[in-house]
Amino acid sequence: MIELAKVYKNYYLGEEEVAAVSDVSLKIKPKEFISIVGPSGCGKSTLMYLVGLLDTPSAGKIFVDGKDVSGLSDSELSVIRNQTVGFVFQSFNLINKFTVLENVLLPTRYTKLKLAFDPGRRAEELLNKFGIYERRNFFPNKISGGQQQRAAMVRALIMNPKVILADEPTGNLDSKTGEEILNLLERLNRDFQTTVVVVTHDAAVAKRTQRQIKMRDGRIIRS
Amino acid sequence: MRLRNGVYHLMTSAVSDFKRSKIRTFLTSLGIMIGVFSVVMLIALGLGLKNYIEGQFESLGANLVIIFPGMVFSEEGGLGGNFGPGFAGGAHFKERDVSALDKVSEIDYVVPMFFKSMVLSANGEEILGYVTGTNEEMFTVSNIELLEGELFSRSDNQRRRKVAVLGYSAAQELFSDPRVALGKRVTASDQRFTVIGVAKKKGDREMDNSLFVPYRSTFGTINPDKTFFAIYLGITSKDAVETAKQRAEETLLKYYEEDDFSVTEQSEILSTINQIFTIINVILVAIGSISLLVGGIGIMNIMYATVTERTKEVGIRRAIGATQKDILLQFLTEAVTLSVMGGVLGLVLAGVMVLVVRQFFPVALNLLAVVLAFGVSSAIGIFFGVFPARRAASLPPIEAIRYE
Ligand SMILES: Nc1ncnc2c1ncn2[C@@H]1O[C@H](COP(=O)(O)OP(=O)(O)O)[C@@H](O)[C@H]1O
Ligand SMILES: [Mg+2]
Repeated sequence: MIELAKVYKNYYLGEEEVAAVSDVSLKIKPKEFISIVGPSGCGKSTLMYLVGLLDTPSAGKIFVDGKDVSGLSDSELSVIRNQTVGFVFQSFNLINKFTVLENVLLPTRYTKLKLAFDPGRRAEELLNKFGIYERRNFFPNKISGGQQQRAAMVRALIMNPKVILADEPTGNLDSKTGEEILNLLERLNRDFQTTVVVVTHDAAVAKRTQRQIKMRDGRIIRS
Repeated sequence: MRLRNGVYHLMTSAVSDFKRSKIRTFLTSLGIMIGVFSVVMLIALGLGLKNYIEGQFESLGANLVIIFPGMVFSEEGGLGGNFGPGFAGGAHFKERDVSALDKVSEIDYVVPMFFKSMVLSANGEEILGYVTGTNEEMFTVSNIELLEGELFSRSDNQRRRKVAVLGYSAAQELFSDPRVALGKRVTASDQRFTVIGVAKKKGDREMDNSLFVPYRSTFGTINPDKTFFAIYLGITSKDAVETAKQRAEETLLKYYEEDDFSVTEQSEILSTINQIFTIINVILVAIGSISLLVGGIGIMNIMYATVTERTKEVGIRRAIGATQKDILLQFLTEAVTLSVMGGVLGLVLAGVMVLVVRQFFPVALNLLAVVLAFGVSSAIGIFFGVFPARRAASLPPIEAIRYE
């Protein structure tokens, strides 16, 4: 579904070149539950952003459904992000001036095509399923971290994407709430058949996934 | 503990951010508000002033030629020399000039005009009005009709009798009912005049508040120099106006230099006044435009700050599928809203101001002002908002989402 072929990503800090991701080749198949593990700074987030088309590689190619995306325009990439990918972040990244419901509906506002579902109804269903329906009219900073992350997951799911990319989704949560979020990700993979990629530096988290991709210094050392 | 701290911090910073942007929003639109307010007010003032002056001249009869001291209106139609009496270099017209002009056959009426702002008192009341020293032909030339009584006559003038025709407003204020003024005495500068006539309402402030007296009766304490501010000439036939003007000029050149007086037709005066007010309007609008420009720069400045502050938000929106165009439109809409909000506020404020000022001075609003307020403020929003919005749109998504 998403394939990376010899992908590199280099950053420049002044004169110094930082190889955040080096020579990464990777295939993400439908319905997979994958974890990317490795120490802090090894390039996990960079890799995830490349997979989610938020970033472009310095070298190498990325294919989505067999199609090379390197030639796509910014708005074509935006369309793929909107329809195919759902992001979940460590710091939730909800927009604080909007309510939970408004945040959750935001991706539907950026769709250029006619939606196959009723956004309002789908949002209510998902909020219900994730146990935060009662919080729908709250502002993100008025609810708990676990609830914010659930809201963020509903936002990631609203467009019914093929893949959910979660960057340390439990990193800002206590272990009990983190466990709940992980359970939800697991259920999501099982019940919705959505591909889930979880970035983590926690081995216990990684153990629960079907496939672990180990990284070190920007390279995949085991997958 | 970590979670609580995080949420608490988010909460307080968001609340303070909200408060700050409320004040900031107001201050930012204030610039446009003041700009639109001044432009609209200036237009209203200019328009009102023009209407007022035009009304003044239109209330005079047709085929009226006015002789002013000084070079009021140059041949080219522009404003040159001195305006009105009391300025250096202008002629002070005398009775001799009136008699000389009377002999010109093309001129049907020669009306000397002495005009002075004075306190008029009668019946225990006092008002600030005017004493207009003239002759009975003034009423024909200026289209003033009588409500009651009669006009003073040629012999009243010869004998310098203290008789007067009282303007409608003055009569109303001094005697409550204009009709009872007849036969009463009105005092101006220790001179007591008997009211023998009351004029109908003319709709002209100066005329309606005047005490019209035979010009010779003012000679003395009221008009010690025995001079006139202007001489009005009434010409019955339209075709005779040009020759009459020429003859009048020739007549006066015997006594004065060419630059000491000007012979002007009412229509010329009107068109010159039109020109002058067009120029004044342009200048006033230019001044208002400068405040609008400053207001626009203010919006641009705030929008740049907003873009930097909301880099993270831009990143989030890009991650969930917003295109560059979506982001551009978002910030552009914000800038335009900010600007139009200021524009509407300015327009409303100007509207209120016009209602207040109208009590004292003729001001008028027109559709142009309203259209201008909306048009200009949205144009400013677009023009000054597009640069910050483009910066927001061109933020690389990855950098925006990683921005803390
Ligand atoms: N915008 C950037 N500019 C420079 N260096 C960066 C940038 N983003 C990431 N890096 C560097 O790339 C490396 C990988 O970062 P990251 O992918 O965030 O690692 P991880 O998510 O595994 O902790 C780190 O050394 C980091 O400092
Ligand atoms: Mg990371």
